[in-house]
Amino acid sequence: MTREIILQLLTAFTGSFGFALSFGIRTAHSLYAAFGGFLSWAVYLTVHGLSNNEFLACLAASIIAMTYSEIMARLRKSPATVFIIIAIIPLVPGGSLYYAMSNAVMGNSEMAEFYANQTLIWVLAISAGISFVTAIHELRSRK
Amino acid sequence: MGEILLENGAEISRVEDTLVWTGKAYGAKQVDAFVITSIIILSIEFADPRNPELELEALTGTRRIYSSTGTYFHKIEEINSLSRKICSERIYLHEFRSSLNEIAAMTKNDNLVTFGGVIAAGSFAVFFGGSLNDGVVASLFAVMITALQNKLGHTQVNTSASNLLISLITGLCVGFLGKVFTVLHVDKILIGDIMLLVPGLAMTNSVRNILVGNTISGIIRLIESFIWALALAGGIMTAMIIVETVIRP
Repeated sequence: MTREIILQLLTAFTGSFGFALSFGIRTAHSLYAAFGGFLSWAVYLTVHGLSNNEFLACLAASIIAMTYSEIMARLRKSPATVFIIIAIIPLVPGGSLYYAMSNAVMGNSEMAEFYANQTLIWVLAISAGISFVTAIHELRSRK
Repeated sequence: MGEILLENGAEISRVEDTLVWTGKAYGAKQVDAFVITSIIILSIEFADPRNPELELEALTGTRRIYSSTGTYFHKIEEINSLSRKICSERIYLHEFRSSLNEIAAMTKNDNLVTFGGVIAAGSFAVFFGGSLNDGVVASLFAVMITALQNKLGHTQVNTSASNLLISLITGLCVGFLGKVFTVLHVDKILIGDIMLLVPGLAMTNSVRNILVGNTISGIIRLIESFIWALALAGGIMTAMIIVETVIRP
């Protein structure tokens, strides 16, 4: 189990780094952006371990990731978009999207529905978390 | 300037704000920018310098935006620092123009994109529970995917069509490979490769657009990204059905 967690955190970092490279982020920022991916997955695992609730864990992860991105944007003088897109990549529900499709093809409509629901919940949680922090940030900067 | 931002994956509000700030920094009385995913409409009013009380002279321009597939964050970062500079200090128009041209001429390093794709696909195959072998295979197919994306990107094929085609080809190759080498987990490999095609950027940006008030653009892009995801699903599904029916006997 611990080995699995370490492997996930490691690949979350390298995977985000890969995306940072292919989206052509400024080289000096790519490691910071990839750390965002690592951070969001670490938060996800922690909250999921505590509450056993996927929505909550994903929400917490995207809130922390967006906060991190806003801070990084301030420190590195770069738009926050650049950091958040990389940071939420480990949260993108590629797995459940795939299983929803494959179960639909195999005719297991119950499983397909389950995974489709899960995909939706993740997308909702990610965008809710991001918007929450963005809204607070907007309020603060409008003052 | 707006075109560069929009084509490389910036949010709508950033494009509008940047245009307005730039216009104001060069002495415009009133700048109105209306941006949606496919068009930029910009209208600028200048006062007559000799007679400021007289009526304003208005200029309006429209720019149709065709593609927004090439995400290149470096350009957004550069434009961002350029517009910060304009607002804080005075920059001559010709200097501004030349640095804008410089940014427009920047091209992505294709090898770096491929390398990034390879790392990302391999990592995510393992991330979602695949073995090391799965990671390596996913990385190999990532080379093919980025090459195809590159090819199709140059020919102006729309994103849904290219997603459909790429996922179909990838699904077929991985599916047959999985039938030959039974140690491989086809699902994990495909998940790793799908991550490269999932419109994560478009979806997140669209939801952010909606929540800051750019509802039209947000909804356009959201529906667009759903269609891209459907095309992706369609390609993989077709490939799986083909593999299953061919191999069964």
